[in-house]
Amino acid sequence: MEEKYYAGFMTARPDWMKGMKFIRRRILSFLTDFVFLAYTWTIASFIVNMLAYQEKSFVILPWWIMLIVTVEIAGLWESFGISVGMRLMGLQLSGRGGENTPLRLGRRFLRFLLWNVSGIPLFGLILSTDRGERALHDRLSGLSVVKAESVTSGRRYTESWALAASGIVVATMVAAALFTKVDMRAFFTGAPKTGKFWAALLTPDWSVFLKGLRYLITTIFTAALATAFAIVFAAPLSFLAARNLTHGIIGRIVYTLVRATMSIIRSIEPIIWGIIFIVWVKVGAFPGVLALFVHSVADLTKLYSERLESIDPGPVEAIRATGARTAHVILYGIVPQIINPYLSFTIYRLDINVRMATVIGLIGVPVIGQLLKQYMDLSKFHKVGMMMLLILATVWSLDYFSARLRARLK
Amino acid sequence: MAKMPKKSRSARDPLYSPRRIRPRILAFTVDWMSWGYIAYSVMYLLNNYWYHRYVDYYGTLTLPDTWGWLVVVFATLELAAISHAFGHSIGLSLFGLRLLDEEYRPPTFKQRLIRFIWWHLLPVGTIVGLVLKRQPGLFHDTRSKTRMYLIADVKDFIPATKPRKWYLTHRGAMIVALITATFWVGWLVTEIDLGAFFGRMSRSTYIWKDLVTPSFEHFILPETKLTVLGAQPIELTILGGIIESVFMALLATVIGAVLAFPLSFLGARNIMGFSPLGWMIYGVTRGFFNVFRSIESLLWAIIFAIWVGHGPFAGALALTIHTIAALGKLYSEQVEGIDPGPLEAIAATGARRWQVVRFGVIPQIIPSYLAFTLYRWDINVRMSTIIAIVGGGGIGRFLFFYKNNVGLIPNSWNQVGAVVITIVAVVWSLDYISGRVREKIT
Repeated sequence: MEEKYYAGFMTARPDWMKGMKFIRRRILSFLTDFVFLAYTWTIASFIVNMLAYQEKSFVILPWWIMLIVTVEIAGLWESFGISVGMRLMGLQLSGRGGENTPLRLGRRFLRFLLWNVSGIPLFGLILSTDRGERALHDRLSGLSVVKAESVTSGRRYTESWALAASGIVVATMVAAALFTKVDMRAFFTGAPKTGKFWAALLTPDWSVFLKGLRYLITTIFTAALATAFAIVFAAPLSFLAARNLTHGIIGRIVYTLVRATMSIIRSIEPIIWGIIFIVWVKVGAFPGVLALFVHSVADLTKLYSERLESIDPGPVEAIRATGARTAHVILYGIVPQIINPYLSFTIYRLDINVRMATVIGLIGVPVIGQLLKQYMDLSKFHKVGMMMLLILATVWSLDYFSARLRARLK
Repeated sequence: MAKMPKKSRSARDPLYSPRRIRPRILAFTVDWMSWGYIAYSVMYLLNNYWYHRYVDYYGTLTLPDTWGWLVVVFATLELAAISHAFGHSIGLSLFGLRLLDEEYRPPTFKQRLIRFIWWHLLPVGTIVGLVLKRQPGLFHDTRSKTRMYLIADVKDFIPATKPRKWYLTHRGAMIVALITATFWVGWLVTEIDLGAFFGRMSRSTYIWKDLVTPSFEHFILPETKLTVLGAQPIELTILGGIIESVFMALLATVIGAVLAFPLSFLGARNIMGFSPLGWMIYGVTRGFFNVFRSIESLLWAIIFAIWVGHGPFAGALALTIHTIAALGKLYSEQVEGIDPGPLEAIAATGARRWQVVRFGVIPQIIPSYLAFTLYRWDINVRMSTIIAIVGGGGIGRFLFFYKNNVGLIPNSWNQVGAVVITIVAVVWSLDYISGRVREKIT
């Protein structure tokens, strides 16, 4: 039996639902403003605390004062201008006579007063007519919040949201400078302290060249083995972490699990992994290999799977249409498309691993970084210079050749 | 027989033009290096398995004192020459070269042997041939009547031959040998010990247990009392530490991006390459980028810790200097890859050089600049969590304090766990946000 559906029956919503999207947008706009203002308050408190009391504290007044003030300022801002939240959500306050009629200040003030009564507890929005455009406080003050049809901002730097946004960027930078104790005087007066060091870099001590070379060999093998083992694990895992290849509920779960695990592993630097592995296995280059390996697997899986997600589905479909098995579809449909990018990513990762391997010596892995740290602690700057030279030569040449190779693989 | 090339081409003797000689030199270098690598590996393995007495502390190569190196150098040179004369080596295939006789056929064994023998007299023979016989050409080429051709030049004349199985070719066998050597020697050099890995797993479970049951007691409240003799308390909380790290990364990224922006134009060939002075500035800028980028920010932090003293400022400076170099390189590559169309159009209106840059270049590069900056921000946040290991400040101070006092302070692994979890949460969420923003702008 043939059923007849009216056009768009799938998209029809009950009337009360139609406004929900707009109400959500208004609430989000307010929340953005609130977060923005609370952040401003916190940063301002920190700067005041730091300048007035030399105290690293983000709190200057009780939290409830901050809450009241920020909520009130958010209300004022939304009534009297275009706030950051309204700009982001594309909202605009409008009068009866259309978008561009100037609004009287009295009406704006009335709206602000009423907003305290009906806006904060939200029932004004919920009771609103016109799909959320006219909440209770809007209606009583003769205004409405509408979508900004066209953002007509000729000069951004005269608008309050832009001023506030750039102000907060500057304030954040100031706070960051205060927090990290930026001390330009030490920067300029301390430079002579390193004079001996720079001079020593130019006159390296060649007597430790062979010793450094041995450590360098360990470094390179550490990176090479970590990368090689990582390929073996990351290549299959990347198929499980590609959205276009994982179907069904189980596929989705596997996809999410793999992706989440990998991004957690990736956010921990190899040095921290190294600390754990040094306790696990013994001290030596092996924990270094393991640390770089774990991080590389996570990183390569991400890079590989992103490449897999952007493959051309044409050849895959064509091969599947011949009735080929999944293994054959992968082998002849997907692998030819990904082999060069995979190689390119691997070379890139080898490059990073060699860099990381030079510094993983700081935690006691016998690579060149360890020698460098030792000589640095003993203030043997000429020997440090030799180590720096070796690191520079290795990283530089590897960088050059990997760039050449990758350019050829494109 | 295949058709001969045009007379005029051979008259100019293109075989010895720099374009054709350069790949030959490079190919030989590659082969020499790979044989050198094999030689190193073999000697390492011999030392490791047979001559324990001569192995030094690091287990690396030991050679007879004075002449050992010479033997290795000459032996690898010979091997490289053999693989050039008798087979299709890695270097030859990498640079697209092919050994053929004068009629574009594969040379006979006799020809190859003559070629290999006369190769030893290459410099002398070439000069003698040039002076006495007025015959240009490399000695072993002319004696064996074979030539090393660029495949691109002789594609049309080579008769089709059935390729051998890849593992039977010289190249395939060599690659297998190189990979095997890497794994074998690497396994020994890095002292991989799967026994320890699995055997000690049960002994390391307590760490994992402590790490996943973190102790957030110092999340907001700092450690104030001296818990154990020798372990100085640090006036830092996890929250304060992570804020310090994020602020360090922020300062480094913003200042680094602002400074790298003008430098990127000085390091772009298509902006600077119009005058000798421009080329010089280009070279100096690129050199600066490469040198400063090669030194990891952790090593920079060591230097800056001397310069401005330990603390977050040193870390921020280290991250900044590495950011300038890294972003500068990425930025200037973007400038080099821009579409020249709009530039020419603007230049045609009689605009000045800076106007061309302002209205032709900058609009094209802004989105990718932003994307790179956000990418760098991710890296800086991650790096700022560990830069404390060399006195750079940030949350790492907390992490390394508890890690270094494991055993002195009760439940220090739980503290480490709390720090690691905080790092993951912050880094992951910042990563996620910047990823979304990057998606939007590119």
